[in-house]
Amino acid sequence: MPALAFNVPTGVQPEVVAGGSHAAACGASVEPAAGNPPIIVLESVSKTFDAHGHRVVAIDGVDLRVDEGEFVALIGPSGCGKSTLFNIVAGLQDADSGGTIRFGGERRKSTELLGKVSFMPQRDLLFPWRRVIDNVILALEVEGMSRSDARARALPMFAGFGLSGFERHYPNQLSGGMRQRVALMRTFLFERPLMLLDEPFGALDSLTRAMMQRWLLDVWQLHRRTVLFITHDIDEAIFLGDRVVVMTARPGRMKLSVEVGIERPRHADIRTSAAFLEIRKTLLAAIEEESMKSFLSESV
Amino acid sequence: MTRSPFLRNGLVQVAPLLLCLVAWEVLARIFGSTHAVMPPVSTILLGIFADGNTLLRSFGRTLAETVLGFVPAAAFGFIAGALFARVRIAERMFFPLFLISQTVPVVAFGALVIIWFGNGIMSKVAIAFYLTFFPVTVNTLRGLRAVDQDKINLLKSFGASAWMLFWRLEVPHALPGIMAALLLGVSLSLVGAIVGEWFGATVGLGIVLVQAMYAEDMVRLWGAILLCGILGSTLYGLVAFAARRWVWWGGEI
Repeated sequence: MPALAFNVPTGVQPEVVAGGSHAAACGASVEPAAGNPPIIVLESVSKTFDAHGHRVVAIDGVDLRVDEGEFVALIGPSGCGKSTLFNIVAGLQDADSGGTIRFGGERRKSTELLGKVSFMPQRDLLFPWRRVIDNVILALEVEGMSRSDARARALPMFAGFGLSGFERHYPNQLSGGMRQRVALMRTFLFERPLMLLDEPFGALDSLTRAMMQRWLLDVWQLHRRTVLFITHDIDEAIFLGDRVVVMTARPGRMKLSVEVGIERPRHADIRTSAAFLEIRKTLLAAIEEESMKSFLSESV
Repeated sequence: MTRSPFLRNGLVQVAPLLLCLVAWEVLARIFGSTHAVMPPVSTILLGIFADGNTLLRSFGRTLAETVLGFVPAAAFGFIAGALFARVRIAERMFFPLFLISQTVPVVAFGALVIIWFGNGIMSKVAIAFYLTFFPVTVNTLRGLRAVDQDKINLLKSFGASAWMLFWRLEVPHALPGIMAALLLGVSLSLVGAIVGEWFGATVGLGIVLVQAMYAEDMVRLWGAILLCGILGSTLYGLVAFAARRWVWWGGEI
């Protein structure tokens, strides 16, 4: 099925993708990074669960592509299968047969992605018995690096993550925002081609959250990773992403992909800029429509 | 100003105990004129000192039995729990046996154990062991099973082997529960050692208790009771201290 692409003067490039469409549609108009294959491409990936005898289609023909160095934010109404998608991209769950997943150009089964993607779930999952420094080096340690080498590697990063002076603290001595930064640092230290973040700031109050978003951009600018960022917060998605992808209500599929043409580095005040508001309007309309659908289907 | 909260806490906890001892002393002197009912504390303490050598030997013996039963039971309990947690068929096959073994009151086995292991130290160690391993097995099994699946997934994504998962995640997660079982177990081990001595032994606090009972020697009886209490609370205190010092994250899990 063809994708309909509109060129909007503000730099917004919405792209409407009909459900179940095949691959190349989503993100086709995004220019690929020079030469390199995209980090990950999902083509009509579906997942059906069997819940007490009925079939529940969590996601249905999802197409998604993330290029190298790109920051893609994914939003969708609640219950749209975001966490199913997270589990598939993280390699924790197998997708139904039928779709294809390419990782770094090679075709993979979902479960083969485990260990290739550094992911961070909503909860920080810190180990209470380990000091902050030993929490962040967990991946390095598992990979066989000695504890002292791993610590030496992590120590210079503490300042950048706003955790200087807390290296030897235990997680229960930290605030929620700090714990989240520790978890992010642990994710950064597990260096993989793709970072998958699932609402990492969802549990934080709005002020802390805004600070963390600015901070994440700084860190991202510095380390330049490819990020797939799942959220339900439209502003967060626009503020952070190079591109925002919207999912439909359950069964989830891709509804829209919007290029955020706002220059980096981005400052807090871009949230009130015309370009930002323009994108916000487009996304809000799409999300509202989907939320209404999922609301109506639940109330039946 | 009080010097440290530790000292102040200590005082708060010790004061009532001292008060009880004073009340005991006074009441025993006023009412219990005959030692046949309740000798005053001071008389009991003097009795302990007078009989120092025998009681010290008995104390040491019962301590040895308790520790020698407790330590292997803790290790065995942990290994069995870990095995059950990992190999479901082993749990299905052997856990019921563990459970049944615990439904028989230990005193029912007493005579048998003495015949098998003799009236030396081994029989008491065996009974202490028998009473102790089960709670450790249960809490190890439960703790290892209750690990957050998300944490397991996270470690797996880092490429962790089953062995790493076990030592870096599952065991630390289970430790608070295991420590709780050890606290219970150390008290049970002492009970096992004392009860074991009743069935046949030559030294030990249990023997002192039985001998004092037959001789109706109230001072000696109370002396032995006091020593049992000191032994029990010291062992409990040591385990509790270790738990608080090294396994403090129980509330975090």
